Amino acid sequence: MDRPPTKHHNPHAHVIHQPGKRLLHAVPLRFVWNKVVGHGRRGVGAALNLVSFIDFLVVTVIFLLMSFSASGEMGVDKNVKLPKAENVEDIIDAPMVAVNGNQVLVDGTLAGSTRAIEELGRMQKVDELFAILKNKRELWKTVQPNKPFPGVCILQVDKDVPALVVKSVFQTAAFAGYPNVSFMVSKLPKSN
Amino acid sequence: MGGVDVGESGGKKRATNSDINMIPFIDLLMVTIAFLLITAVWVTNSRINADAQVPGPPDPSKELEPTTPEKVLNLHIYESEFALEWKAGSTVVSEVRVPKTPVELGSGRDATVRYPDLAKKIQSEWEQQGGHRDPSDKKIDQCVLHTDNKAPFKEIVAVLDALYTPRRDIKFADGSTKQVPVFNMTFSVR
Repeated sequence: MDRPPTKHHNPHAHVIHQPGKRLLHAVPLRFVWNKVVGHGRRGVGAALNLVSFIDFLVVTVIFLLMSFSASGEMGVDKNVKLPKAENVEDIIDAPMVAVNGNQVLVDGTLAGSTRAIEELGRMQKVDELFAILKNKRELWKTVQPNKPFPGVCILQVDKDVPALVVKSVFQTAAFAGYPNVSFMVSKLPKSN
Repeated sequence: MGGVDVGESGGKKRATNSDINMIPFIDLLMVTIAFLLITAVWVTNSRINADAQVPGPPDPSKELEPTTPEKVLNLHIYESEFALEWKAGSTVVSEVRVPKTPVELGSGRDATVRYPDLAKKIQSEWEQQGGHRDPSDKKIDQCVLHTDNKAPFKEIVAVLDALYTPRRDIKFADGSTKQVPVFNMTFSVR
């Protein structure tokens, strides 16, 4: 038969303690300990509560991890100022054609001059752009022979470029086998 | 420091209480935050879709059947107004004019122009004339954009934004639905 517990027996007595100072227990040097706790005077050492600070850091890390994008920002030519639009779709992986005030670039490689198109004054096929895009299409078909070619390319066009240049690049891309052309824009928040 | 208090140790035994050093943990959190802040993407780019509608090569094994041409919306951008013209082949079915009433967002060089009146008119025109309105119909009505060669690209994007404002549901075989713009756009090459 077990003995009934005595009136003052507490089975958790070795675990539960009165709240109070827990810091600085492990300071091994006596003179440091004396300095910190003060000789009867108020101690110069102040206990800093780190719990709220750590909570804040953890919440910040979680928020940043949730909003982290491994794909990163799509490379936009530094000379291109994109227009803004509300009704947009997400960017997809496709060849990038940048059109600024002077040049046409495919993934950073020069592929034509916008000045030449403007001076001619009518729509024309941009031969260098056509050749580069055609090569890209053939390379894609060689690498993935069993998949249907999506024919998607993305135009990063500066907002002040005239429509004549846009239409010329658009048609050239279509002739080179990229009929699904998308225009890159900066996303505007929905107004309503 | 964080600590674990498991009671006093008696006699000459090693103390069972231990302080956990929180400094490396805080350092780790700070480094993680710094890394995530530096690599964060603050500017999000998106795209507006267009389709050059280049027909593929004809299939010689199939016999061509004459079909009636579908109605296509022709959107003309003029100096002070827009024209919305429904055409079936070369026949003009209807035509409406919408005055240009731009709404500017922002100021200076970063100002963005919107045409909400045009968007509303395109919506009502599609509701009256659109050929593909049923959710089970996966085809999308076509729009041909006619613009002056000198118009800046930001003007074209403002019109495209208005064109893509009306949306409809498309129902797929698995029962799911997706909201898509009611028009697909291409440029007039003339």
